[in-house]
Amino acid sequence: MAKSDDCVHILQGLLVFGNVVIGICGIALTAECIYFVSDPHGLDPLLTATANSDINAAAWIGIFVGLALFALSILGIIGVIKASRTLLMVYIILMLITFAFEMASCITAATHRDSLTPEFFLKQMLDRYQKSDPGNNSDSEITKTWDELMLQNHCCGVTGPSDWQEYTSEFRRTHSDADYPWPRKCCVLNAQGLPVNLDGCKLGVPGYYNSNGCYDAISGPVNTQAWGVAWFGFAILCWTFCVLLGTMFYWSGIEY
Amino acid sequence: STMLPLLLLLLPAAHGIAHLAYRPALTKEPQLEGVKTASTFVVDQPRCVFQNYSNAVIWLVVALNQAASSFNNSAGPGTSETAFQRFPDPVRAYMTLNVTLGSYPCPKPDGDIAVLRVGSETSCIQDDTRPTCNGPLPHPGPYRVKFLALEGSVPVAETAWSVPITLREAKPTSTISTTGSGHSADMIAITTILSILFAILLAGLVAMLFFWGSDSCGSSSTFSKPESVTVRRYNTHHVYDQPAARL
Repeated sequence: MAKSDDCVHILQGLLVFGNVVIGICGIALTAECIYFVSDPHGLDPLLTATANSDINAAAWIGIFVGLALFALSILGIIGVIKASRTLLMVYIILMLITFAFEMASCITAATHRDSLTPEFFLKQMLDRYQKSDPGNNSDSEITKTWDELMLQNHCCGVTGPSDWQEYTSEFRRTHSDADYPWPRKCCVLNAQGLPVNLDGCKLGVPGYYNSNGCYDAISGPVNTQAWGVAWFGFAILCWTFCVLLGTMFYWSGIEY
Repeated sequence: STMLPLLLLLLPAAHGIAHLAYRPALTKEPQLEGVKTASTFVVDQPRCVFQNYSNAVIWLVVALNQAASSFNNSAGPGTSETAFQRFPDPVRAYMTLNVTLGSYPCPKPDGDIAVLRVGSETSCIQDDTRPTCNGPLPHPGPYRVKFLALEGSVPVAETAWSVPITLREAKPTSTISTTGSGHSADMIAITTILSILFAILLAGLVAMLFFWGSDSCGSSSTFSKPESVTVRRYNTHHVYDQPAARL
């Protein structure tokens, strides 16, 4: 009897520990998703301009899942210590619902990340950068975002300034090729925001224009966000799976 | 009859135009991103080529590829036959970028970028008063260029024609394919594993609900804690009973 008492206590201890970890991870997930939703890199206009803004949706779901996990972990701890069948049944069902939501969030984040290829950004940039449509707000947002991006990261286009030469674009419609082989923001600018050497920039002389593309500057933060949500969520779910299995086993051993 | 071959030999000499071996070419050094755009291209300046013609004005002739061989060196620059505004139809070769030899000092100082950007002047595209405008080229070409030195209105030297230069053509954005990138291994792994875990948990939940009311499977094995509670109750019951029995 003493031996099975020990087993019970060990199992209870493990379950309590498991729930504590779930609670902490839930708070961490909420914090991480709040950070991503706040868009620290200013890339949201590029990502949300499409029909689906799934990475953000995944982050929003993550916030609420994190809080739910924290609350449920407390419920779980109480249920385990009191060895209450009802409490634990409620706990398991609610946890499964939370599991499903978090699963959706992870898969959404991963899938959406896969769709953010260089071609996607290239097409969006060419179609909407400097599009002077007064009715459409998101176009001017995209223009502002790209300007900021090219300024901060000293880059041009998605794969390079040749993007503007290889493809037609909204920009090309309003800016002649001879005067603007690529946007002025691709030039090396001085403190006043004017090109250091405009002719050098138009010619493409190394040192007077930005020759690398901005895709790296975009994909870095996007990858961090997507994999942060997807893989951290996946890890939490794996741990939750173990705790839930243990809880089910514990539940089935409780006498009525 | 012997006079005729002699006269024929003398005629080119009387023309006096020197054919220099220099061939204009797209700039290779330094590497320029904009060496060819959709409407401009960049050629090297003809340094140390026209040294014997210090009094001449050096013009750049830009011609359609097929019109290069039929270009008349005596055509005057800035006339309607060579005006940029009437290029490419009916004018098939125009003259522009006129400079004196002083603009092409020889030798070229190291580090200087000595290039000519053909097509850089956008202000005079429609300006008929500027027939020698260095305007942007109207279509991808191909084009050929050469340099022509004129003293007054007399051509004195010319370079060879360049190889045909074809400009860049922009493709429409509809040719960019944004689909078919497939799913990464990460996403497939996450989906598969999570689906399996969720399925196992659901199965476990179903098993739990199935066994809710009945005696559970593991009751006889590890969970003796509830048993000890009932034993304790039983003991207290006995304790209450005994004093009553004694009484």
